[in-house]
Amino acid sequence: MVPARSAEPPPRIVSIWFPDWPVTAAGFGADVTAAVMGANRVIARTAAAAAEGVVIGHRRRQAQRRCPHATLVDRDIDRDAREFEPVVRGIAELSPRLDVVEPGWISLLARGPARYFGGDQALVDRLSEQLIEAITAAGTPATAVGIGVADGRFASSVAARLAARRVDALIVEPGASPTFCADLPIGWLQTLGECNAELIELFGRLGLRRLGDLAALSATDVLGRFGHPGVHAHRLASGADVRPTSTTDPAPERRLDHVLDAPAAQSSAVVFIAKQLADELAGTLAADGRVCTRLVVVLESEHGERSERSWYRSAGLSAAAMVERVRWQLDAWINLPRGSDQELTGGVALVRLVPDEVRADDGMQLGLWGGQSEADRQAARAIARLTTLTSDDAVTVPVWHGGRLPADRYRWVPAAMVDLDGRARAVSGAGTGSGPTGPWPGTLPSPSPATVFTEPHPAELLDEHGEAVRVSARGMLSGRPAILLLLTGDEATGWQRGRPRRIAAWAGPWPIEERWWEPGRQRRLARFQVVTDDGDGFLVVAEHRRWWISARYD
Amino acid sequence: MELAVELPSELSALAERVAPLALAGERTLPVAAAFAELFPERGLVRGRTLACAGQAATSLALALAAPAVAAGSWLATIDVPTIGLDAASEFGIPLERVVAVRAEAARWPDVVAAAADGFDLLIARVPAELSPSAMRKVATRLRQRDVVMLVLGDPGALSCDGVLDADDVEWVGLGNGHGHLQHRRLVVEASGRRLHGRRRCRLALPG
Repeated sequence: MVPARSAEPPPRIVSIWFPDWPVTAAGFGADVTAAVMGANRVIARTAAAAAEGVVIGHRRRQAQRRCPHATLVDRDIDRDAREFEPVVRGIAELSPRLDVVEPGWISLLARGPARYFGGDQALVDRLSEQLIEAITAAGTPATAVGIGVADGRFASSVAARLAARRVDALIVEPGASPTFCADLPIGWLQTLGECNAELIELFGRLGLRRLGDLAALSATDVLGRFGHPGVHAHRLASGADVRPTSTTDPAPERRLDHVLDAPAAQSSAVVFIAKQLADELAGTLAADGRVCTRLVVVLESEHGERSERSWYRSAGLSAAAMVERVRWQLDAWINLPRGSDQELTGGVALVRLVPDEVRADDGMQLGLWGGQSEADRQAARAIARLTTLTSDDAVTVPVWHGGRLPADRYRWVPAAMVDLDGRARAVSGAGTGSGPTGPWPGTLPSPSPATVFTEPHPAELLDEHGEAVRVSARGMLSGRPAILLLLTGDEATGWQRGRPRRIAAWAGPWPIEERWWEPGRQRRLARFQVVTDDGDGFLVVAEHRRWWISARYD
Repeated sequence: MELAVELPSELSALAERVAPLALAGERTLPVAAAFAELFPERGLVRGRTLACAGQAATSLALALAAPAVAAGSWLATIDVPTIGLDAASEFGIPLERVVAVRAEAARWPDVVAAAADGFDLLIARVPAELSPSAMRKVATRLRQRDVVMLVLGDPGALSCDGVLDADDVEWVGLGNGHGHLQHRRLVVEASGRRLHGRRRCRLALPG
């Protein structure tokens, strides 16, 4: 049986894929054993770590067992985006019309640039030269990269991933995408986040092991048996991945912009404006059952500099996802190297969101690990409701920040500014790398304190003779800590001493010297763990000859 | 008429197998095995408010919440800005499902009610100045929405279904000028109108 094909062949697309981008963004070269963790599982690792047997999906413990000397760092999706920016700029010099799918993954239409450079092979050669140049200029460690050219986004993405395992690029001849896809294992549909695991498993049990097996079935049979997700899979397997009749040009009135009368110098102000626009855009699109898959974000400064970038997400961009893209783009713009073209010199005066590709929302909002649960959706609704009840900055979610003191390790950011759908896979903190292999040598070993004071409490630590304990520059103590006193009151009215508490056990000092190179922000302090005779544990800090209680083990 | 005699017993056996077990499972959130003996239902019954008290109250609340959040529930903390996220993550709470809310005392009942719509678990501090009638409304709402609220500190006018007291803490690992905190042994005592008398358990907690 001949599989159904849409009359028009899908556009020819170049995909550029950096395997394990998060680990490259974290600054590890291929020869260093390192891995990036999200939700306590490996989500990316270097070639050296892979050679030692670290596999994506491993838990922290498993990875450490295979490779005890590997450096494990936590995922930071903002860092991934920031480090990816030079690569995007480099490619944009060759072909300005490119889509950033996610940090480490770019796709662009091949037709124009291929014609200009004289064929797919010439284009790919130019691209890889440009990539190497951009990467070395940015100082990012050298890394493998895959370039794939094929008809259609799906085939091209697969080609790029296959190419990353070889030396040269993988070019699928025009019209050959269906045959290219036919030989691929069916699991690719899941790898690229197009189908969920249960459907793929079901295909496998039914004996459909290759994409060609699925493509050979008739589309109507597939629709009858598997519904819309099945048809979507069938269409991709047939090498025709454009959703027919859905990718129409958006009406011009859909573009939304906001001109700021007083240019915003603070990035949070721009992000809040972007949030209003994104809410409105996603709202109007949702009202007629559509979702935006490619969004062009345009930012302009009061001095006329411009930043324009197009963002793609096959599952569709939610309002929060749009805001996150704006935040990445703004971050990249602010951090442009001095003297480069379009460098930001003034406040932002214009924010514009253009939904460049819109399709019918068929309810297939699958995340990489199987998408949202009902609990996630309920929580997202409750967060929106809570934000309107209180204020934007009263509803916050934790974001990993890093540091040696418990209070420094996480920042609370307004929930409205974070993409909660994407968050499930952009986890910021699980297992925060305390301990010798973690990225923050000098943090205290677990357990961590359950109560961390945002403002440390003033205290006094006395020795047996009632004298205040002093810590010398070399970390020597003037006496053994014997009594802990909490202070109440404030600087102006004088401190009142609380009830003296005898110290049953203590250890320290663990000194920290941070940012000694930066006069305004440097810190020198020493940490102590103290347990009083009634069993309360405290983390006590000496700084500027004063004592503070920074956390409590309660 | 042998059939008529046998059927009822078979039916009742079947009814026993079908009815209560499924419901009890639906109505509780999982807890770690060490805590199971504190609760007659072997889990946190949805819709209940429990006060966590004693020296290790915060850690106890985090440890109780962890298995449910790990299983997919969301956790909101209300007016607990001091929650230690490293500790939470060490207990196994995935931080991407943690949301912190600050609320003024006057808004507190509304905020709890809104949070009850979307979160399975709340860890909250109760403002002292609220009236008993406002608190009764909060309690009713929590019961209706099947939310478990763990109260830190003084529950004030809010009536709790049970009190979990984590006391007699003994730290292990810290010496006199050497070592570091490793874990602690403590006794958790559960009491309250819904917990059928007093139950105690002795356990070791990290953090």
